Amino acid sequence: MTTAVPTSTASPMSLATSSLAREGRAPAARPTHVPGRADLLRGEWTKIRSVRSTTWSLLAMAVASLALTTIATSLFTARWPHLDAATRTQFRSDTVGLIFQPAASFGQVAVCVLGVLFISSEYSTGMIRSTMLAAPRRTPVLAAKAAVFAALIFAVAELVALPCFFIGSAITGKYASTSITNPTDLRAVVGFGVFMALTGLIALAVGTLVRHPAAGISLVLAWQFVVPAVLSLLPGPLGEHLSGAMPANTVVIMGSGHDADNVFSPAQGLGLLVAWTVVLMAGAWFSIRRRDV
Amino acid sequence: MTSINALPRIDPRSPDGRLLPLPVSGGFPVTGEPSNTIAAAGLTKRYGDTVAVDGLTFTVSPGRVTGFLGPNGAGKSTTMRLLLGLERSDAGSATINGVPYADLPAPLTQVGAMLEAKAFHPGRSGRNHLLCLAQSHALVPERVDEVIDLVGLRGAAHRRAGTYSLGMAQRLGIAAALLGDPGVVILDEPVNGLDPEGVLWIRRLMKRLAAEGRAVLVSSHLMNEMAVTADHLLVVGRGRLLSDCPTDEFIRRHTDPGIYAATPAIARPALLEEAFLRVTAASVEYAGQ
Ligand SMILES: Nc1ncnc2c1ncn2[C@@H]1O[C@H](COP(=O)(O)OP(=O)(O)OP(=O)(O)O)[C@@H](O)[C@H]1O
Ligand SMILES: [Mg+2]
Repeated sequence: MTTAVPTSTASPMSLATSSLAREGRAPAARPTHVPGRADLLRGEWTKIRSVRSTTWSLLAMAVASLALTTIATSLFTARWPHLDAATRTQFRSDTVGLIFQPAASFGQVAVCVLGVLFISSEYSTGMIRSTMLAAPRRTPVLAAKAAVFAALIFAVAELVALPCFFIGSAITGKYASTSITNPTDLRAVVGFGVFMALTGLIALAVGTLVRHPAAGISLVLAWQFVVPAVLSLLPGPLGEHLSGAMPANTVVIMGSGHDADNVFSPAQGLGLLVAWTVVLMAGAWFSIRRRDV
Repeated sequence: MTSINALPRIDPRSPDGRLLPLPVSGGFPVTGEPSNTIAAAGLTKRYGDTVAVDGLTFTVSPGRVTGFLGPNGAGKSTTMRLLLGLERSDAGSATINGVPYADLPAPLTQVGAMLEAKAFHPGRSGRNHLLCLAQSHALVPERVDEVIDLVGLRGAAHRRAGTYSLGMAQRLGIAAALLGDPGVVILDEPVNGLDPEGVLWIRRLMKRLAAEGRAVLVSSHLMNEMAVTADHLLVVGRGRLLSDCPTDEFIRRHTDPGIYAATPAIARPALLEEAFLRVTAASVEYAGQ
């Protein structure tokens, strides 16, 4: 270690930090302009791109999504000869649902983990105090984090959605037709990114509220997987509606809207997901403003 | 340095050599010449029944190292956190250059602080840690490399900070504190766990920062270290201010007059420990048997 850190006598204060009283500030130590929102965004972008968990999570999201699209469409088409007419009609009217919904359901796990980690790791490591010293107003910090994270997830999810769409279309092509120029199909491709980005924000909000990475990840995964399953056990339309209104089940935003089995339409699904995101981000905002760090 | 020089900049000095205010563009407040002072007035913080900080009033002046002493749990760290806006006070005010921390437009250019050795993500390189802080303040990346050289971390800058030794982590913390070339520097036990060379480095650094006209507030439990570093002492016990005076005066006032007279001037810093123990005897909360 001693080789990495030169001795104190060997590294006297250089001109870098010049005499404040006599010579003015070190030239490079002055802001080039009034620090503002764009600068906070730049800092948050550096943060997220400079940790390995980002790469791994996004890779996991891509692999899981592509694998699930392939598996779900392959299994379905393999059973085609044994399917009844009603199921076939339903499939033909909601092919994009089969291409994207299983992929989104599994791909979101990595996004949830990354969303929780992005902020809770700051609390667990002490980084949050460096962050808050640099930007003592908390609302812009949370806003910058949310904007950077949502934009990153949306962009990567769209990069994953396109191959998912083409792979899924190729596999199902014998029995159904899909086309990127078809508005419904295009909406599903965009919906994949929207679902991932908003789900990521929900995870970010949970991470802000809980602050502990392990607890936050457990909570958000339970919220996305266990709670909807338990709610769906409730008898009658109540269970169906409650479960369908959970953010994880808003994957219907990628469906065609003609599927009779979906409790909510794609537009309603989007509305529900936005509402969940807003409510949880509002909670996170309240928490980050109120609590000491 | 070429890219730094390429930036449009106003000469910080007027013809007679006085420091001019920072160049101003839309909405950036003109604070005038930074006064480089910390002020607490009636500062109070409670945690349930514990009064961690109890009506503290003091000023930390520029141009000298102010030692912040007190037994464990006396409220030193809490006071620093209040000064830096990391906690809300229950009463009183804490200001830097007359302004609460949260209202400083570009806080890192006015205050640099290291409260704990490891206020960074262990998976991020030291350089990227400093870079994200610099970017939030519109500081050029060249400044990051300047402070890396300043603390002697160049060889390790691209390594994950989680692999740093304690001394290297402290250096990274100091680099972050000096990033914006602040006129006020706040360090909480910066020499904790450092080897003798590291201790010497921090001591010289603090003296240098003070000599440059900055206000330096530093807490420590190492009496011998404080005796040779601090020009002025703030001593607290159970959240209350017990003493606020120059170091030599503190030693003279609180040691046995006979011993003080018998001690040659050069050895008097060694008496700080005795003086400290006397002053804080009634405020020690966590004592062994
Ligand atoms: N977050 C907290 N919740 C409850 N009590 C706290 C909290 N932070 C500090 N305290 C209490 O406030 C008092 C002052 O603590 P503080 O850490 O400021 O002391 P200190 O002077 O820095 O001590 P040390 O020399 O051991 O670092 C202590 O009694 C401590 O237990
Ligand atoms: Mg402390």
